[in-house]
Amino acid sequence: MIGLISYLVFFATVSSILAIAVLGLNLQWGNTGLFNGGVAAFFGAGAYGLILLGGTVQADHIGGFELFYPVALVGGILLSGLIALVVGMLTIRLRRDYLAIATFGVAVAFENLMRNAEWLSGGAQGMRGFERPFEDSIADPFVFNIIFFCFSVLLLLGVYLFLEKLIRSPFGRLLRAIREDEVAAKSLGKAPNRVRLTAFVVGSMIMGLAGGLYATFYAFVSPQDVLPTLTFQIWAMLIVGGSGNNQGGILGAFLIWAAWTASGWMLSKFAPIEAQLYTGTLQYIMIGMIIVGMLLWRPQGLLPEKLIVSQ
Amino acid sequence: MFVRFFKSFRCLRQALLLGMVGFSSTLYAQNCTTKIGAVLPTSVDWGRPIAATAQFAVDLANEAGGVAGCQVEMVLRDTQVDPKVGVDAAKALVDLEKVPVLLGAVSSGVTIPILTSVAVPAGVMEVSCCSSSTKITALAEEGKTKGLWFRTFATSGVQAAVGTMLARDQGYKSVVVLYKNDDWGQDISKLTVRSMKSLGINVTNSIAINDGQASYRAEVTEALKGNPEGIYMALYPKEGISVVREWLSLGGSQKMIMANSMKSDELKDSVGLKYLKNALGTDTASPRVESASKFVEMYKARFNSEPNGPGLANSFDATMIALLAMEAAGPNASGTQIAAQVGKVTDPKGTPITADTAGFKKAKEILNSGGSVMYQGATGNVRFDANGDVSAPAVAWSFTESGTKEERYITLDEVDAFMATMQ
Repeated sequence: MIGLISYLVFFATVSSILAIAVLGLNLQWGNTGLFNGGVAAFFGAGAYGLILLGGTVQADHIGGFELFYPVALVGGILLSGLIALVVGMLTIRLRRDYLAIATFGVAVAFENLMRNAEWLSGGAQGMRGFERPFEDSIADPFVFNIIFFCFSVLLLLGVYLFLEKLIRSPFGRLLRAIREDEVAAKSLGKAPNRVRLTAFVVGSMIMGLAGGLYATFYAFVSPQDVLPTLTFQIWAMLIVGGSGNNQGGILGAFLIWAAWTASGWMLSKFAPIEAQLYTGTLQYIMIGMIIVGMLLWRPQGLLPEKLIVSQ
Repeated sequence: MFVRFFKSFRCLRQALLLGMVGFSSTLYAQNCTTKIGAVLPTSVDWGRPIAATAQFAVDLANEAGGVAGCQVEMVLRDTQVDPKVGVDAAKALVDLEKVPVLLGAVSSGVTIPILTSVAVPAGVMEVSCCSSSTKITALAEEGKTKGLWFRTFATSGVQAAVGTMLARDQGYKSVVVLYKNDDWGQDISKLTVRSMKSLGINVTNSIAINDGQASYRAEVTEALKGNPEGIYMALYPKEGISVVREWLSLGGSQKMIMANSMKSDELKDSVGLKYLKNALGTDTASPRVESASKFVEMYKARFNSEPNGPGLANSFDATMIALLAMEAAGPNASGTQIAAQVGKVTDPKGTPITADTAGFKKAKEILNSGGSVMYQGATGNVRFDANGDVSAPAVAWSFTESGTKEERYITLDEVDAFMATMQ
């Protein structure tokens, strides 16, 4: 029983962290219509930034400033924001698919930079040497995981409430106006590019927060954590949950991650002995089928966008 | 009607069960099972044989009567080479299946987060067949692995040293280094370049090879600059094939030195044996004990092919050592207790045992009477240092019609002495 709870807490922690990233993407795509194909880069910037600033001194790369945890976390978020600002200023005038391709390129460049710039990021071996806050004073790892879970959920809740308030504000209406008809918004004296850039940076910083939490939880980050698969996973969560709806995004994160992991568990449990070696491949097929099935059955997502969120 | 249907269903089920017994021939009278977890990249082509070899070791132990009085069941999960997925799988194995030992993972990027966020906090022993990252040694030196970590894959130092030794013995004056652009490749190339330079061999360049490119012409052209006499490659077979072909077609030298990852039949067949006459490879295996050549025989008997993929012998030894330690620790032992027994099953002063069913049976007797054993496995006499790392004797190999053959055996003492001269 305690094992099941322990696993569920672990699962819910990872899901909450991913849900935060999904909320960031929802601000960009769901509300503003920005097709960010480089989620992994902004997530990764938060993760790398945290360990760079908050980790211990390592021989083979810079960093090791051992900053106070919240400062390091905020530092990672700011790094994501900075990258988003630079990328955004260069690409924000691009529309949907063009923006997607450009940001995808940014993510691949980010991964390759982390893989090769050993002095900066430890190269392909990744970055370690991060001490999880309070881990030494909490003897029981189970208790540590519960506390970290609560911390992640609180941050998820904070981000959710912030975004709910934001989309109900005049600024939120402006985002949707730009998403639906940019020319009309412009004719009313708004500056769409600036608003789009703001949404892009804020959304990316939320992804950076998720990345920071992720690196805290694993006390490690390597280029393998920021492969394009991550971008795909976050997108699948948003689309299945319901883009434009924050609750949908959170639900999607939990559901897709559950499908992703439970499919592996079920196969290892129930597949016949002879097929065990092929369960990895089967799992990919199952995950794909779940996503395709959802798109066919409910293309608007489980919780579709509400047309009227504020009067 | 319904009853008849039900009855025939039961018959069918029994038949199926019997079929399974026949298939695995491992279910004995014991009615308890003990679980061992495996987190390996089974969705990747070269990961599947590694998992199959681990299962093979489990089957051998079961034929010898299992461990600690129970049959062993290996619960296998795929990592998808995604750290998130691997860590989740490991956590599920530890929490839901209650495994005291995890075998895996392959990529260090997956192995390290499993170690830091699952295995060590839960007190579960982790044995990897294939992770080579020196970062794990650093973790162990800081005491972060709490003695729960072991690997049967020698850190890249041994192979880099032996590669250098071969270049020196062949009299190569200048060498270009090509490496797979991941943690293992970066590590081994850095070490190789350093040791070659310390022996006065001119390293003309070291070039990263990224996975999955359609062509490596640009990299190979770059490598040809400076006209190196020989080429050192630490690549995986798929990229290795393209690189070697382009290297040769652009007039590169046939004086090649290859890391163990290129010991592949596919590579030999795709490139052509006649171009590989001067190619030498390195590996950390040590076919000096009976059990090692026996491993090759047993492997051939079971899988109908030579154990030529990367990490197979290591996976076999990792599993065997874990099982022996489980046996030594007795029933219902925790991961920490099992890890504490590893020294007892790899004791240089212990009774030598072979890595097969008979050896396992013998080990069980000795361990039960309080003795210690020296496991002689597919990679030789495995001996862990304080950080859970292995040093290993090495071999130089070359390609033959049927696979590979050993050119030269380099003893552990030779390896250690050679490595010492370079520091």
